[in-house]
Amino acid sequence: MSNMGRQIEIGPTDNTSNERTPRSRLHLIPEAARASFAPYAPYNYGIAPSESDMTRIAAGRPRAQGDPIKVTGKLMDQFGRPIRNSLIEMWNANKHGRYTHIEDHSGLPLDPNFLGIGRTLSDDEGNYEFWTIRPGEYLARPDIGRYRPKHIHMSIRGGSSRMITQMYFAGDPHNDTDPMRILMGDNFDKNIGQEFATPDEGFDCGYKFDIVIGGKNPTFFETT
Amino acid sequence: MAQPETKSNLLTATNEDTLGPYYPISLCDNDSMDLTVIRSGIIHKPVGEKITITGCVKDINGQLANGCLLEFWQANANGIYRTPDNETHELLDPWFNGYARHRTKDGNFTLTTIKPGACGERAPNITLTLFSDGIMRVVTQLFFEDEPSNETDALLLSIPEELRERLMIKKTGSGDYNIEIIMAGDNETPFFDDLLS
Repeated sequence: MSNMGRQIEIGPTDNTSNERTPRSRLHLIPEAARASFAPYAPYNYGIAPSESDMTRIAAGRPRAQGDPIKVTGKLMDQFGRPIRNSLIEMWNANKHGRYTHIEDHSGLPLDPNFLGIGRTLSDDEGNYEFWTIRPGEYLARPDIGRYRPKHIHMSIRGGSSRMITQMYFAGDPHNDTDPMRILMGDNFDKNIGQEFATPDEGFDCGYKFDIVIGGKNPTFFETT
Repeated sequence: MAQPETKSNLLTATNEDTLGPYYPISLCDNDSMDLTVIRSGIIHKPVGEKITITGCVKDINGQLANGCLLEFWQANANGIYRTPDNETHELLDPWFNGYARHRTKDGNFTLTTIKPGACGERAPNITLTLFSDGIMRVVTQLFFEDEPSNETDALLLSIPEELRERLMIKKTGSGDYNIEIIMAGDNETPFFDDLLS
């Protein structure tokens, strides 16, 4: 097994994980092929500034129900180098734990003033920020009473940087039973937003969430 | 995924996490599964053979894996990838980016593209990144059957011979190809580890 990579584990109580997790270990990539695995996404995003304020559907419209929060952090590779001009897509449930997604059939209350979808770009230092409503937890497995804890989904794409991850909240009673959190083990701390005060900004509080993209090809070196 | 202990001073990577079932469909609005068109309404087309690859993603039970997010990445007909390092390469095709992204509602997909050329010693291939509910990201590369260069490709040679067949895009007609991705179980598609490699 010397030339094999990780064995992806199956999230406990996660039916989809059981159905979709490869049973074989991942194969290591020979050096001659490694660079070809890092896609380079062209950037033609055309993002409107209001897309980073998820607390309103559009500028000038009423604020959504629940606690408005700020999320900010820095995108980096494992050497601490900033990942610039990367597209960050965010999506989260409303304060009741309901997504506006057409396939969310939970029946939980919708908020007419909450879309739950946003986008932003990291700046020249790799920093990003956006605003949203603190999401509610929701019952993901009614048959066994297992909840998904509060979480915000984030996709990072730009240049060759690839990641989809979730930011969680410290102290959520449902964190400990979440299947993916269980797989993360002690490294789960990396996925918790660190709360900070935002006096006079009109938000409940802020969360610092730095994102480190792993792997040897997270960014291309600039040639100029 | 727990990372092996190391004395390295590299920062610990943030854990990747499942896509979940509710990836916003509208976030793919500006993405395209037709790599032969960079901009609509322009007469220029990329160099090379236009092909259409239909395919599907299946789970351990042979059921279509709905809601997956697929990303494709490939070289142009000359085997050149559009990376920053290649920005002034004479064989870079100005009408070809090589990157596509798509959320499949039901597990099926159709990619219209140019048949990639061989990049150096590598056989022509398309990188596929797969995000889904229930899993972290997995990556693989898809090859074209009947390409002589498959016999010497470093990645194909790195996996057991009996698995290579599962990475082959099958020709089904003139310019038409098909591939089935099996996420788990019998005939599981070989996936690669781009974090540890």
